[in-house]
Amino acid sequence: MPRDIRLRALFWQTATVLFLLALWQWSAVTHPAPYLPPLKPVALAYLSLLKPGNFMDTVFPSLSRLAIGFGLAVVLGTVLGTALGYLRRLDPWIRPVLEYLRFVPTVAILPAALLLFGATDTMRIFVIAFGSVFPVLLAAIDGARRGNALLLDVARILKFSLAEKLFRVVLPGALPSIFAGVRIALSIGLVMMVISELIAANDGLGFYILRNQRLFQTANVYAGVLMLGTIGLILTLGLLSIEKRVLAWHRGWRGLSDARS
Amino acid sequence: MSQPLLSMEGVSKAYSADAQILRDVTFKQGSNEFLAIVGPSGCGKTTMLRCISALMSPDSGSVFHEGQSFDDPPPWLSIVFQDYNRSLFPWLSVRRNVEQGLRDVARSERDDRVSEALTAVKLDHAADLYPWQLSGGMQQRCALARSIVTAPRLLLLDEPFASVDAQTRIDLQDLVMDICERMSLSALLVTHDIDEAVFMADKVVVLSTRPATVVEEIPIDLPRPRDQLTTKETPEFLSLRHKVYTLVRQQAQ
Amino acid sequence: MSSTGKATIFASRATTALKGVMGVLAAFAAWEVVRQTGFIDKRDLPAVIEVMEAAYSGLVHGDISSALLETLQSWISGLALATVIGIAGGLALALLPGLELATRPILEFLRPIPSVALIPVALLVLGIGTSMQLFMISFAAVWPVLFSTKAGVESIDPRFLETGRVLGFNRAERVMRILLPASLPYIATGIRTAAAIALVLAITVEMLTGRPGIGFYIENVRLNGLTAEMWGGILVTGIFGYLVNALFVGIERFTLPWSPENRDA
Ligand SMILES: Nc1ncnc2c1ncn2[C@@H]1O[C@H](COP(=O)(O)OP(=O)(O)O)[C@@H](O)[C@H]1O
Ligand SMILES: [Mg+2]
Repeated sequence: MPRDIRLRALFWQTATVLFLLALWQWSAVTHPAPYLPPLKPVALAYLSLLKPGNFMDTVFPSLSRLAIGFGLAVVLGTVLGTALGYLRRLDPWIRPVLEYLRFVPTVAILPAALLLFGATDTMRIFVIAFGSVFPVLLAAIDGARRGNALLLDVARILKFSLAEKLFRVVLPGALPSIFAGVRIALSIGLVMMVISELIAANDGLGFYILRNQRLFQTANVYAGVLMLGTIGLILTLGLLSIEKRVLAWHRGWRGLSDARS
Repeated sequence: MSQPLLSMEGVSKAYSADAQILRDVTFKQGSNEFLAIVGPSGCGKTTMLRCISALMSPDSGSVFHEGQSFDDPPPWLSIVFQDYNRSLFPWLSVRRNVEQGLRDVARSERDDRVSEALTAVKLDHAADLYPWQLSGGMQQRCALARSIVTAPRLLLLDEPFASVDAQTRIDLQDLVMDICERMSLSALLVTHDIDEAVFMADKVVVLSTRPATVVEEIPIDLPRPRDQLTTKETPEFLSLRHKVYTLVRQQAQ
Repeated sequence: MSSTGKATIFASRATTALKGVMGVLAAFAAWEVVRQTGFIDKRDLPAVIEVMEAAYSGLVHGDISSALLETLQSWISGLALATVIGIAGGLALALLPGLELATRPILEFLRPIPSVALIPVALLVLGIGTSMQLFMISFAAVWPVLFSTKAGVESIDPRFLETGRVLGFNRAERVMRILLPASLPYIATGIRTAAAIALVLAITVEMLTGRPGIGFYIENVRLNGLTAEMWGGILVTGIFGYLVNALFVGIERFTLPWSPENRDA
């Protein structure tokens, strides 16, 4: 984009944001209501969430559970999916079970997890992992299955072992598909993180939001939601930048075929 | 021991009951021989190479490498596939692609041999580029480097120059002949280009249309080194070319 | 095709189905193995047959089926609302580049907020009730419809629009006769994604606020120690989720046979 157009865009974007904030502040002042706190307390509550003490009590527990659950889901989904996709003959055996499990609305297993693990971190990590594993698994199976068969012939000629075939040929070829699955998994993981804290927790952002809602500390409620938005945005951007690096070769190929066609 | 390097004995292959591809293919290739196989598109040349390399097993008949038969590709065999833009690992640089054949070799030796192979195919300047950054001819040279870096004895070439432009094609032909000469490699070149077959090979095997079978083997006794201009103007070249052309044309009818 | 060909295809379909059934049976067996190892209290993990019985009797005697009906109602209304708003919003964003540009930072920030986090906010503003449930479901489900509509309109070949101009369509006609139909495959995919999200939200709201529905049912039987009923409820919910997706895929196949997604065969 040329510079002046970019500047103009920036101007209008800032103007829109400022206008909406002003509208909010105006209604908060002229029509005071418990659910409509002015901007200042919300901003202060948001900043106080970043203070080390609050951060460790509220944001960190959520983040660490997300990291473990989502990390498990990505690793398990990728490894299992790559292997299952490569072993095509297994597909008819597992397909119906997988197709059923992937469409179970993930929250439905929350009571079961509570029953099995109690209101523990294991339960929360389990729900996050269960929710986010299926998009990764199915994307990995799909990517591995549609991989380039000629490269497997090359691998046979070059005497790759089974593990080398899986991790050096099938997996890299499935990565574009896997990343698409991981992006979906991240948003599901965030949702499951929050739900598991809304329903049974004594720390974490979901708990913070719910408790402050019960105490009518609405500024804190909005601050918590804003913090979740921030986390979601940062994680999404982080994921995109990893993807951009890892899949540079893929964009190169695609760019080329787009240019040709 | 004078087992031929490669010997095909009555090899037949069908993908399904009504799609017979190879029928009773029989020929031999000696050590240090440059063999060219010509046949029309779709007649089953790639299928035959897959049987030779044990990527696929024939329905009947046998493939022997120095008298032995194999279930897995013999370690001394390399292939350059027809589809160059799908046979390189797109996520690896040129150097890393070539390295894939030497995974068990010590680092320092590996680096040397990779550099050597890249120099041999005149690709040393592009070692750090990725396949998508290369032209078709460069991609094919990268595949060639990967094939020769393992120091194979038999190099299978599946229409390696089919989809590059005319000038690149000529350069690649000279390059392959030169490499085979220097490394005393036996090569089996599959092609549908008669000029190319006669120009490069010591022996041309003519295949019929599908189901493919050997129609005739024609020894090419043109002296080496061969030159794109002078060799192709000699009466011997022209008469061999005429002979092969006539056979291939008869097949088409 | 010859009759032997048909027979072969039938036989291969039958083996595929058989393998699938075996896979399901293997899953049941795995469940039973986990039960027998004793890692988990057997009362928490009832036998597969008990779970099925609970699901069946819940469906027949009305507990689960009436809960499911409640969920279905709020799900459909939320999804319908999200679809209308999403398509209108997506069209607006695609056709008014100025609007898209100005609102981009806000949309980019709103989108990654896990929608369930807004449940407490919605409780504050709207209280516990139908409107809150409807708002939450449609708020969460609107995004996929919105963004896929936008992507659909943007993917249209400009030549289509020129054709419309040549045919003398006015602006409204161009939207109704060209833009919308041409972006329908995208919109359909968006609605299918939205349907799954809406279902999750419907269930979550029921669980958290005690509004009647399958989510409330599952949580409630758990609190009462009825584990077979709980697993039965989850089983049925999964089947429901599966059927919802199958329904949408079926509708897409039927109404959009020209869509690229239906041309894979
Ligand atoms: N995996 C396969 N299954 C069924 N038919 C195939 C398969 N691979 C190739 N064929 C068919 O076999 C014939 C010969 O193919 P191929 O060996 O690739 O020919 P060539 O390399 O001479 O062009 C072609 O008609 C092709 O369609
Ligand atoms: Mg071929």
